[in-house]
Amino acid sequence: MNLIEKILARASGRKSVSPGDVVVANVDTLLLHDLSGYLTARVFENEVKRPMRYPDRVVMVFDHHFSPPSEERAQMLEENRAFARRHGIHLFDCGSGNIHHVGVRHGFVRPGTIVVGSDSHTPVHGTLGCFAAGLGNNSHAAMVMPFGKAWFRVPETIQIKLYGSQRPGVVPRDVALWLTGQIGEGGAVYKALHFDGTFIKNLDVWDRWLFPLITIDVGGKCGFIEPDEKTIDFVRRITDRHFDVVHSDEGTDYAEVREYDISELEPQVAASPTLGNVKPVCEFVGKPIQWAELGGHGGGRLEDIRQAAEILKGRRIDPRVKFNIVPSSRQVFAEALREGLVDILFEAGCTWFPPSTGSNQAINMGAMADTEAMISTHARNFPGRNGSPKAMMYLGSAYTVAASALNGQITDPRQYLV
Amino acid sequence: MLIRGRCWKFGDNIPTDQIVRSDRVLLPMDEIVTHVLENYNPDFAKSVHPGDILVAGKHFGQSSGRAIAPKAIKATGVGAVIVEYAARLFYRNCFEIGLPILECTGITEMVNEGDLLSVDLVKGVIRNESTGDKCRAKPIDPFLMAMLDAGGLIALAENLSEQQ
Repeated sequence: MNLIEKILARASGRKSVSPGDVVVANVDTLLLHDLSGYLTARVFENEVKRPMRYPDRVVMVFDHHFSPPSEERAQMLEENRAFARRHGIHLFDCGSGNIHHVGVRHGFVRPGTIVVGSDSHTPVHGTLGCFAAGLGNNSHAAMVMPFGKAWFRVPETIQIKLYGSQRPGVVPRDVALWLTGQIGEGGAVYKALHFDGTFIKNLDVWDRWLFPLITIDVGGKCGFIEPDEKTIDFVRRITDRHFDVVHSDEGTDYAEVREYDISELEPQVAASPTLGNVKPVCEFVGKPIQWAELGGHGGGRLEDIRQAAEILKGRRIDPRVKFNIVPSSRQVFAEALREGLVDILFEAGCTWFPPSTGSNQAINMGAMADTEAMISTHARNFPGRNGSPKAMMYLGSAYTVAASALNGQITDPRQYLV
Repeated sequence: MLIRGRCWKFGDNIPTDQIVRSDRVLLPMDEIVTHVLENYNPDFAKSVHPGDILVAGKHFGQSSGRAIAPKAIKATGVGAVIVEYAARLFYRNCFEIGLPILECTGITEMVNEGDLLSVDLVKGVIRNESTGDKCRAKPIDPFLMAMLDAGGLIALAENLSEQQ
């Protein structure tokens, strides 16, 4: 069995499982954000109507609202706080950071565990050797609260082997964007994706993170990376809570193996309307942008902020561009401060926002008019997620975002990296 | 379970954001339901009849996993959804809230807007009564069929708890 199958077997009290089996398994962590948490709490109290038996496994993070934009939303957050107090679940209030980053940085994600969430990007936690899947923001997620369990169909697994080394100016986010196009939207529906190969093994944890993040947008159920010393060291530094690392058996079978050499890649950009619309940056050079952002579910990592600072140090962004920097957690902001990055980016004309999920779905920032365009490190570019369905969203690496902000148009960052 | 109704046809890669816009998810369902899929077909929510069948292309219901999307489709009165293939969260949430969904390669070729369709969920057979064509959908897992029969996940858990 592979890692996913072993975790599901252990958590459902079986000796073994095979793809296609339906199991009811114990869940270690349920991650909810503010909006989905509200909806899930309503389902729990109005439809499920059973006692909260596992409050210690339930984590709610206010990440789409770093500050409520309206009375209605302020009321919603107040109801979430009351729900958290009533049932004793974990609550991280406005300004804590993005749901997934907060979950990791507070020890709720540990190797060998099952992590579920209302957010569709929950599979990102497979980075640490978990079985992690999204459940949607409704009935099923609420069922974890009284039962501590969830149902899963055991997926078939595709091995994605990445090898080769990046050319200068090309970073792991370029590889992840490109890979999304290679696998294709809906190219791995219901599958588990095992991200593997020397390229993945050589990355640090926060760069590995960008790969399981794409799982949902190619249709997958979960993604994972085999835990190694880096993984264990990373988690140990965060939490002293117990975990049992699970490894895939030697020589497990895959439904399919796909191999990719990333050595020839150029910086990539994915333009609206879908993530599959990904091409080398040269095909978009010159397209005007008025907004730039490091943020969203995958962005606002320390790595992204360092890359932007590398390009913008001693330079000024185009006066027509608004470049918003959204740290993914308070720890990232603290570290950016220590490294002098806050100052460098402020002097370059950028605006710092509170730790959050930034303008993902434009709930508390980042709505666009139909004539506007943004380039960001977000995870998605679907029409209507940031205001007008006619507004354009381009996704790129933090290098490409920063270089584009300098010029008010999409720019190949490599000219600034010599 | 036999479902029979007129076909409403939609395209590929439709995200949950476009089934129900994210700024509408907190509205009451009777308001949400009047806007379902309006960017693709403004007449759909106005003119759909109970029991009609929603047909769509590839990766239907992708993007954020919001059970509000299948709930809103169910609230329009749609009796079943048939797609080339669905995003997995959408597929999962359909069964959990009790909306029948079938995956059937080639369905978008076989039907036109307004055709009269009938669907046998147990046999997985889809008939186009307007043209006489028929095809077979991917079978539904017995666990999921039981969930549909119960009316959704909450009801299924209720039934299972009572049996224990």
